Amino acid sequence: MTATATATEAPTPTPDTGAVALPPAPEPRRRNVMLVGTLLVIAAGTMLTGGLLAAYFSAREITQAAGEAWPAEEILMVMPNATLFVAYLTLLMSSVTAQWAVSALSARDRRTMYVAVGLTLVLGLAFVNALSFSWAQLGMVAGADPFSTTVYALTVSHLLVVVAAHVALLVVGFRALGGQFSPRNREMVVSVAAFWHFTVAMGLVIWFSVWFLEGGP
Amino acid sequence: MTTAETASETSSSVGAGTEHETDASRPPAGLAGWFTTEDHKRIGRLYLGTALAFLVVGGVLGAVLGVERINSGLQVLTDDTFGQVYTLHGEVAVLLFLVPFFLGLATYLVPLQVGSPDIAFPRGSATAYWAYLVGGATLLAAYVANGGPGGGSQVGTDLYLLSLALVTVAFCVALVSILTTILTLRAPGMTLARTPLFTWSVLVGGGLTLLASPVLLAQLVELFIHHHFTGDFGGQESYARISWFWAVPQVYLLAVPAAGIAAEIVPVLTGSRLRDHRSGMAVIAALGILGFGAWSPPAAASADFLYVVVGLAAVLPALALVGVLGDTVRRGRFVRKAPLLLALGAVVHLVLGALAGAVQVVPGLQLRGTAWEAAQIHYTLYGAATLAAFAALWYWAPKIWGIDLGEVAGTAAFALTFWGAILLAAPDLVTGLVSEQRLQAGQFDDTGLVTVLNGASAVGGALAVLGVLVVVAELLRRARGRSAAGAAGAAANPWGGHTLEWATTSPPPSGNFAEPVAPVTSATPLAAEDAEDAETADREEVKR
Repeated sequence: MTATATATEAPTPTPDTGAVALPPAPEPRRRNVMLVGTLLVIAAGTMLTGGLLAAYFSAREITQAAGEAWPAEEILMVMPNATLFVAYLTLLMSSVTAQWAVSALSARDRRTMYVAVGLTLVLGLAFVNALSFSWAQLGMVAGADPFSTTVYALTVSHLLVVVAAHVALLVVGFRALGGQFSPRNREMVVSVAAFWHFTVAMGLVIWFSVWFLEGGP
Repeated sequence: MTTAETASETSSSVGAGTEHETDASRPPAGLAGWFTTEDHKRIGRLYLGTALAFLVVGGVLGAVLGVERINSGLQVLTDDTFGQVYTLHGEVAVLLFLVPFFLGLATYLVPLQVGSPDIAFPRGSATAYWAYLVGGATLLAAYVANGGPGGGSQVGTDLYLLSLALVTVAFCVALVSILTTILTLRAPGMTLARTPLFTWSVLVGGGLTLLASPVLLAQLVELFIHHHFTGDFGGQESYARISWFWAVPQVYLLAVPAAGIAAEIVPVLTGSRLRDHRSGMAVIAALGILGFGAWSPPAAASADFLYVVVGLAAVLPALALVGVLGDTVRRGRFVRKAPLLLALGAVVHLVLGALAGAVQVVPGLQLRGTAWEAAQIHYTLYGAATLAAFAALWYWAPKIWGIDLGEVAGTAAFALTFWGAILLAAPDLVTGLVSEQRLQAGQFDDTGLVTVLNGASAVGGALAVLGVLVVVAELLRRARGRSAAGAAGAAANPWGGHTLEWATTSPPPSGNFAEPVAPVTSATPLAAEDAEDAETADREEVKR
């Protein structure tokens, strides 16, 4: 018997007492508060990325119009393209594991969900580590030239967003360990996964716009 | 009992409805209650009070700038300090007063207007308020420490940029909370097309501000990194990467809630209704879309064809608003009530601001950066938005604080603010045409005409500050009077309002509504005709 059929059924007398048993109340309308809030945050984050990239390309245009190199030759020489490629590939893989966590929850497989959340966090941390290593390799001094300033603005902002996503995923992980969430109650997990996907997308756009276009894969 | 019936009752005490709360759910008393509150009504009141305090600060700064301009021998500021006070005046007026005021109003009213018992993400909303307060206080401290554009202190200027970034993040968090409430927590039957016009203006203005604010944040991040590591702020060009937030076209986006407030108040106080609710929504949406300025931070954008088109087109929604509200007044009855005067005054100033903006974007006139630009901003943000803010205070004070603000004070606030803003801005329009004086640089022409115009503008500024003081004094007086009278509340629906916030007590109880809100069938669920229609339908159903 479906839930709808139950909800529309007429009252029936119970066999022992003869009292009328009312059908269960219909389920309240799903509000998706968390998901809508997350989508709004993602919209704002997209504009933040757009604003930072606009500043980056604006500075690039002005510098190149002045006949100067973008980026400076010494930065180009030490740009760790392979490390950066692996870093952002790692980030991309974390998007897969984040979605894996959602799928595991939908399949009531809590153990797999814990593994997927843990893997996502580890991959995210690996990206942070690789990015900081790349900064050290580059040896750029913030403020020394427009390239360094705008690249630090982009990557530090992205790093902060990644850290925020880590915090959100940690909360989800602890709540899951505490027995929360189910296939019907998974809005928070879906929302955090969506935010995680956004951080990955933001990273890929930065990788393409800065590291790929300027240094190659 | 339906919500409409509830509206006819008056609350007997400020805490009406809280009697049913258990001890565990009751918020802590006193200061602890305010610090830890997650109640959207308390958060909204905190926003409003703080924003009004910053308005006084901004008004005093404006008065100091006015005195400096009239060359009276009373000058106390150097050129550098003048530039700092000038930039601080703009930041306080827009980022610490105007935007937070509308956020506070929305935090308080939107859940009530959409029939929700609470706001979405109440902790986020509270966090946003405290971040705004800390950011605002830090901004003032940064200027005191000789920071800001043109400031001599590196730490102070770093602090200045960080505080602006914090305030911007606070706006985004607050907006996510408010917009999610509008999108997901509306009462049954309340489609987006049936949302009250103030809520609609918050959805449009807030949604687009949520998209524009991160662009300001991006600029601030880059300016901070550049300044922190080089010690060079970059001069007026760098400041332009911040001040676009309250210049054409973004200035119109900040005024969108003003249009919503006017569209909410005018029909109620004239005993009429908009001929078509959707026409009001369309006008507000057009004003918001034309006011979206996230693409305009680069100085070069002002030479764009798009910039000119948007600047000219912004006149159309402002005039359309006059048409929509004028038609409403014509079909109703004009009564001399303070909220109505303030709301209509706001619309007049919005049109003046839009006209000034249309002239300003004409490339050949070279009016950007002159006194004309200051006049355009004063018309739109002081004349229109602040008058609308005062109108909202007079109209919704019974709901927010359980007090009725006085008609005499309201009329005085209207006269001082309306004419003060006219006198503040109109001379600057002429000055912008005849003189090259750059306000931010603190350099003024001493020629006879410009000196007179600067003097007239200073008098207008003084009147405007008086208007602010009248508003604050009236609020404090009434609030104190209410405390002395034993916290008696106001009538639930003193104006005969049409929207759901008037269906509950003044102020509303915990949970906002004593009973679940009945399904909404129109944009004006409390209007008499709708109530009659509903009664007729009920009777027919009973007969069947």
